[in-house]
Amino acid sequence: MKRTTTALLLAIGAVLFGACAAQAADPVKIGVAIAQTGPFAPAAIPTLKAYQLWVEQTNAAGGLDVAGTKRPINLIVYDDQSDFTKEATIYEKLITDDKVDLLLSPYATPAHFALVGLLERYKFPMVGSTAASSQLKKVKPGYIWFPTSAMPDQMGPELVKMWQSLGFKSVAIATLQSPFPQEIESYVKAALKGTDIKVVASEQFAPDIRDMTSVVSAFKQAKPDVVLSLSFPAQSILYMKAAREQNLDAPFQLVLIGPTHEFFAKMFGPNLNGIVTIGHWSPFQAKWPKALPFYEAYTKKFNESPDYLDVPLAYMSCEILAQAVAKVGLDKDKLRNEIASDTFDTIDGPVKFDGVQNVSTPTMFLQLQDGKAQIVWPKAEATASFRNKSPWAN
Amino acid sequence: MDTLLSPQLLIAALVLAAIYALIALGLNLIYGTMRLLNVAHGEIMMLAGYVSYWAFVRLGIGPLVSMIAAMLIAAILGALCYLTIFRAVVRNRQLAARLESNSLLIFFGISIIVQNILSIAFSADPRSYSYLDAIIPVFGARVELNRLVVLAIGALATAACVIFFRYSRLGLAIRALIQQRDAASLIGIDAEKINLLVFSLGFAMAGLAGSLIGMTSAISPFGGFPYTISAFIVIILGGLGNLAGGLLGAAVLAFVEIYGVAATSSAYRSILVYGLFIVILLIRPQGLLGRRAA
Repeated sequence: MKRTTTALLLAIGAVLFGACAAQAADPVKIGVAIAQTGPFAPAAIPTLKAYQLWVEQTNAAGGLDVAGTKRPINLIVYDDQSDFTKEATIYEKLITDDKVDLLLSPYATPAHFALVGLLERYKFPMVGSTAASSQLKKVKPGYIWFPTSAMPDQMGPELVKMWQSLGFKSVAIATLQSPFPQEIESYVKAALKGTDIKVVASEQFAPDIRDMTSVVSAFKQAKPDVVLSLSFPAQSILYMKAAREQNLDAPFQLVLIGPTHEFFAKMFGPNLNGIVTIGHWSPFQAKWPKALPFYEAYTKKFNESPDYLDVPLAYMSCEILAQAVAKVGLDKDKLRNEIASDTFDTIDGPVKFDGVQNVSTPTMFLQLQDGKAQIVWPKAEATASFRNKSPWAN
Repeated sequence: MDTLLSPQLLIAALVLAAIYALIALGLNLIYGTMRLLNVAHGEIMMLAGYVSYWAFVRLGIGPLVSMIAAMLIAAILGALCYLTIFRAVVRNRQLAARLESNSLLIFFGISIIVQNILSIAFSADPRSYSYLDAIIPVFGARVELNRLVVLAIGALATAACVIFFRYSRLGLAIRALIQQRDAASLIGIDAEKINLLVFSLGFAMAGLAGSLIGMTSAISPFGGFPYTISAFIVIILGGLGNLAGGLLGAAVLAFVEIYGVAATSSAYRSILVYGLFIVILLIRPQGLLGRRAA
């Protein structure tokens, strides 16, 4: 009888010990829905890679620090099939069915917008990433934050300041008929009012355009100092080809999305030299000690360099979340207050939110110089001085 | 006005016409012969684009050589599609009665499968490379050599197809099948063999187009659909199943796109292209060179 009791106690003890040990090692479930198929997949996949890199690095370092306890991360990923109308349904499933502890953000502005109400309803905080629109400022502060500083209403005035400092007098603008480029165009034009810089040509074009020869021909005749190709990668390729063929020699040529993508460099090589683009991160910024190691880790893991906007933003969102969780754990209310009030150390320098917006990171512009994306504006953040666009290579 | 007369615009319009003609050719062949709506056409192009991409990146073989391999692979895939799926569909009277709608669904499924296989195999990242990108002066215009190559091969391929269908016995047999399917069978034309040949040829042409387009733009697993749409517009505009009509449709579309934009604004590109498309279909529902149904 005594032996039986001892065995029973030992068994209960083992079960309890096992349960405690299991609890200590319980993974933190983090959910995300992102476009892995469909038209947005090529742009969204690098964002997912940033998340995967962060999870791998965190797990390799012993796990996510949850208020002093390290726990492994279990990343749950769903494919939203590039359909933003599915976003809220998938995230609701993540919260209610999968019972995730934390959320990472989906790809693109509309996907973020689609989640605002849901996050509010479930009182679930989420740090955004690849959302950029002046409309974001109208989102009620509470459960979502946007770390980007590539906001159209800030980019417009900053671009004009930059051109004034460089002595440019005329601008030609080609704008993709899509909300983000169109917002930038309108803020640039608004900022130009009252200055001596003139808009000498302005064209909008549809996403399915197949050739930009006509647009560039019109620009060439206008002889602008500045050309803005407010385009996404598919149209950016068309612009680059047409500008090179017609030897468009404007000293300042900005191509909105594409130049910092790996495939763009493979296609255009030295012809990218001098092209300006948007972005507020560079691995060559010595002030941000985490920037270069991140660049090297990403390049090593995926055998390609990260783009300079979406990928850092996705990684930053993880860093912000991790630092908040390390301080206050997984309690949603405490997390929300922590993200809303603290300053976070990221690969893009310190980030602090006011309302939904990152108020620490200034709006910046990058220029491709000898294969490297350097910050050329604002001067206080610059990693290199602006250079006039190099002649197109023949 | 000076811009409209510039050789730069003319070359751009010709290159675009060649691209449209090339991507529409394979689609037109399969529809013309068998009344099958191949909505996986763009995905076959992307598959071929990957063949040429990897041949260039891994083996240093340029697309002008690898396009033959890309065409062969696409042709084999086409033959497999026909033998494993569409032969049964064509033979089955119930399925054959709704051939166009059934083929649309089947090809839609194939397009999703190809997209996902490509995505799993190569990731969804866009891929590109630089090949024959020297600037060549042509009649006062400056054009990338790879675009001229697309123009030349596009013109050659379409001319070869037109000659084949006009002058060879096999080509005439295919045309007979296109025009009078039942009568052609009665005079001893083996419809199944012709179907297999046309399927392979149609896919091979998609392969050729994909291989060449990879020289001038990025490819990705999900990048094929816009090409499918363009190809459908071209063949509907020209007359479904009419190869010469497809050529004319490609030229009309390209010239309206380039010169219409130059004369007005790029903002009106879609209005011009689709507006013309609707107007032509209102005037000639059978397309520019299509035959009115009896």
